[in-house]
Amino acid sequence: MDFEFSKEQLDFKKSAIQFARKELNTEVIERDRDAVFSRELWKKCADFGIQGSAFPEQYGGLNTDIFSTMLLMEGLGYGCKDSGLIFAINGQMWTVQMPILRFGTDDQKARYLPKLCSGELIGANGVTEPDSGSDAFSMRTSARLEGDHYILNGAKTFCTMAPDADVFMVFATVDKRKGFMGVTAFLVERDFPGFRVGRDIGKMGLRTAPMAELILEDCKVPAENRLGKEGNGAAIFEDTVEWERGCILAGLLGSMERQLEQCIKYSRERKQFGKAIGKYQSIANKIVDMKVRMETAKLLLYKVAWKKQADGKAPLEAALAKLFISESWISSCLDAVQIHGGYGYTTEYEVERDLRDSVGSTLYSGTSEIQRNIIARHLGL
Amino acid sequence: MLNVTNIERFLLNEVAPDLGKHALDPDEDLLEQRVIDSLGILRLVSFLEQSHGIRVMDEEIIPENFQSLNSIGRFVEQKTAGK
Repeated sequence: MDFEFSKEQLDFKKSAIQFARKELNTEVIERDRDAVFSRELWKKCADFGIQGSAFPEQYGGLNTDIFSTMLLMEGLGYGCKDSGLIFAINGQMWTVQMPILRFGTDDQKARYLPKLCSGELIGANGVTEPDSGSDAFSMRTSARLEGDHYILNGAKTFCTMAPDADVFMVFATVDKRKGFMGVTAFLVERDFPGFRVGRDIGKMGLRTAPMAELILEDCKVPAENRLGKEGNGAAIFEDTVEWERGCILAGLLGSMERQLEQCIKYSRERKQFGKAIGKYQSIANKIVDMKVRMETAKLLLYKVAWKKQADGKAPLEAALAKLFISESWISSCLDAVQIHGGYGYTTEYEVERDLRDSVGSTLYSGTSEIQRNIIARHLGL
Repeated sequence: MLNVTNIERFLLNEVAPDLGKHALDPDEDLLEQRVIDSLGILRLVSFLEQSHGIRVMDEEIIPENFQSLNSIGRFVEQKTAGK
């Protein structure tokens, strides 16, 4: 077993950290307060090569392997304090770009991937509905074929980046009786007739990645915009979330590392009762726990990457990593606030924002409860 | 035609034991009857790959291949022949 990365991979991570620190950390407190998305930063990320990183050069990508991609995301999570931006980029990469690459026709790839990689287009994913969250495939949104078009009807909610997105990966059922195997994926452009973005949805964290509802009222989608075959949507979705779970978590790993260093620095500098607070076991133990969580998280995450690279699939490993890392991230964020005391509760110290941002991680891309269900099924329960 | 008894047993005992069924009609719609759900398909695919030495691609997870025991049998047979 070899835990070493190549010099090129580590240099790649380092360059992402430098880029993020230099370009992405302006006015994060204000943008979070006002829930403002920055298209300018989105474009800067695309110009650096982030959106295209894991995608073939013919579509404007860098064609990086999965380990390098995870290291890139780690670097981004470490260097960039705007977790909403990283979350939104990952959302596009793994739930829009990757399914197009893996299941799309040559025409679909040529039409969408270069513009998504370059930042010209923003992509969003619409699967969740008001009445189907964790039970995503019980969706009501329907699609029926009429000539050379599908007619989609329904509503989606919690769609990250919907207010600013140009193209949407929308899941709808072509046959409700078939359950999850009626679900089919479609590429819906913002100006397709019958499509509109509904109300904005305010939220606790990740506030720089706006969220809204999608409304489909006799929305006319050309048949050539169906992604994969009819009934293949659930498999496309499952493949998608494996990528998403792995790579969004890599960003969290970077954030955990940044937060740990910040807490160590603060605990060495902050003095109470005549000595640095890090000399008190109650503080040191919290920092040790943060370190243990981070190192364990790394092993779980790199195993996902290894399994994806070797087998193409890693459903159990991705669920284990998603569950552990997201819950660890919340625990570490709580510890970070506590270590900083009253200052940790203030906006200025920026650890309270990490805590607010962290809570979403046990909800998006499958809740902790769903991860436990998946793991239990794999154990034969 | 492939003998699908082992697949039937796996579905009844491992994928959908809660349904309390003792047998499946070869043409019974496993999707409409909810014998296979979105978590169950992962286990079924893994079982087919291990027991028949095949590789099931994500794009092959469609109703034509998994609608009934007979369609699963035909699919596995095609995959086995194409190895």
